Amino acid sequence: MAYHSFLLEPISCHAWNKDRTQIALCPNNHEVHIYRKDGAKWSKVHELKEHNGQVTGIDWAPESNRLVTCGTDRNAYVWTLKGNAWKPTLVILRINRAARCVKWSPRENKFAVGSGSRLISICYFEQENDWWVCKHIKKPIRSTVLSLDWHPNNVLLAAGSCDFKCRIFSAYIKEVEERPSPTPWGSKMPFGELMFESSSSCGWVHSICFSASGARVAWVSHDSTLCLADASKRMAVTSLCTETLPLLAVTFITENSLVAAGHDCCPMLFTYEESQGVLTFGGKLDVPKQSSQRGLTARERFQNLDKKASSDTANATLDTLHKNSISQISVLAGGKANCSQFCTTGMDGGMSIWDVKSLESALKDLKIK
Amino acid sequence: GDALRAFHTAIRSSPANMKSQAMKEQAQGTMLKVLTSFKSSEIEQAVNSLDRNGVDLLMKYIYKGFEKPTENSSAILLQWHEKALAVGGLGSIVRVLTARKTV
Repeated sequence: MAYHSFLLEPISCHAWNKDRTQIALCPNNHEVHIYRKDGAKWSKVHELKEHNGQVTGIDWAPESNRLVTCGTDRNAYVWTLKGNAWKPTLVILRINRAARCVKWSPRENKFAVGSGSRLISICYFEQENDWWVCKHIKKPIRSTVLSLDWHPNNVLLAAGSCDFKCRIFSAYIKEVEERPSPTPWGSKMPFGELMFESSSSCGWVHSICFSASGARVAWVSHDSTLCLADASKRMAVTSLCTETLPLLAVTFITENSLVAAGHDCCPMLFTYEESQGVLTFGGKLDVPKQSSQRGLTARERFQNLDKKASSDTANATLDTLHKNSISQISVLAGGKANCSQFCTTGMDGGMSIWDVKSLESALKDLKIK
Repeated sequence: GDALRAFHTAIRSSPANMKSQAMKEQAQGTMLKVLTSFKSSEIEQAVNSLDRNGVDLLMKYIYKGFEKPTENSSAILLQWHEKALAVGGLGSIVRVLTARKTV
């Protein structure tokens, strides 16, 4: 596990480039900083200053090497690298509230922005006008869209929002792509069609993720639950009430295993048992080093008893790698089907890279299916 | 024995969808009586006999009981809270806070 502390402020969002040598992140202000890996160090190579509000979402298209950023100033910018500088292009989203999340589609010909205006903007490039155009998906979203994820077919989009529901929409744009073939989620997919809507859990849906094949979608919500909908089981939803604080980010690492992290500051493994349609907790992935247990002096014992009414020798400091909530997880290597490395960033301003193979060998009863 | 059975019955027949406030208050009163009738040593066993949903429901009743404290209720409820927390974790408390259907 490699941990690097970038800042003392939270990292609002991050995105990696294709070969994972550069990371773009927002240091909790209006800018985007791009760092490049120089051996074991990270050096800042670019500062992208265009937004007038905090940057809430960044996504880096691997093939076309374009960045898209969105912020609380209700704007999104598409950045292209010209020579040694990133040049922004404004995209008019036509929203009247902050943008919250942005994701390039798998084929990078469009991107989706979730916002506080209770709608999703799907933006694509119109060649004739040399301009990014956007279309809105409004119904039946009742609150801020917090998270988005694209299906591998480039058409379906999963959205998690603050009205406690996870929905899958069709974002089919006839100007940029051909008709999609039928999927387990449905066959008729006109733009804005609601393919799936989960029954209410009781918490804001913080993060949502399609599996590599697109047949499953998982989401985490603020009532400390992790839910999964399986299209091959007629969209049956299974949920797991976790014992932890609410999770903020989730991703698939194989077709059956998920890694999620949140306010407990450590990533956790969950497994989906397809035959029984059940989600189970697989274990915490952050194994703290065994700190030497120094014996408490009698004075300390009495002080503890006085202050905390317990003679417990438990540490008051966090043993995990991240010292504050983890807000985002991204897959670095192996894709969502066979992830071998993933990265977490959090509110402690740190970024940590986790290696799946070494986790498997370090934590003996960890089973990643 | 008897207390355990009363406990399970109270949990099972709890008003998940009941809209009437009076019925909810009655159920809460019954639950409180059952909870206070337990000996401290038996609480852990009772909590372990519940499934995940049962533990969440128990937590809801415990917090409801905290809202209107009577003579001795808080002390007993705190003991129940400690045992329920050990099984349900912080997640069960979060679910009490985020629940839209109250008991």
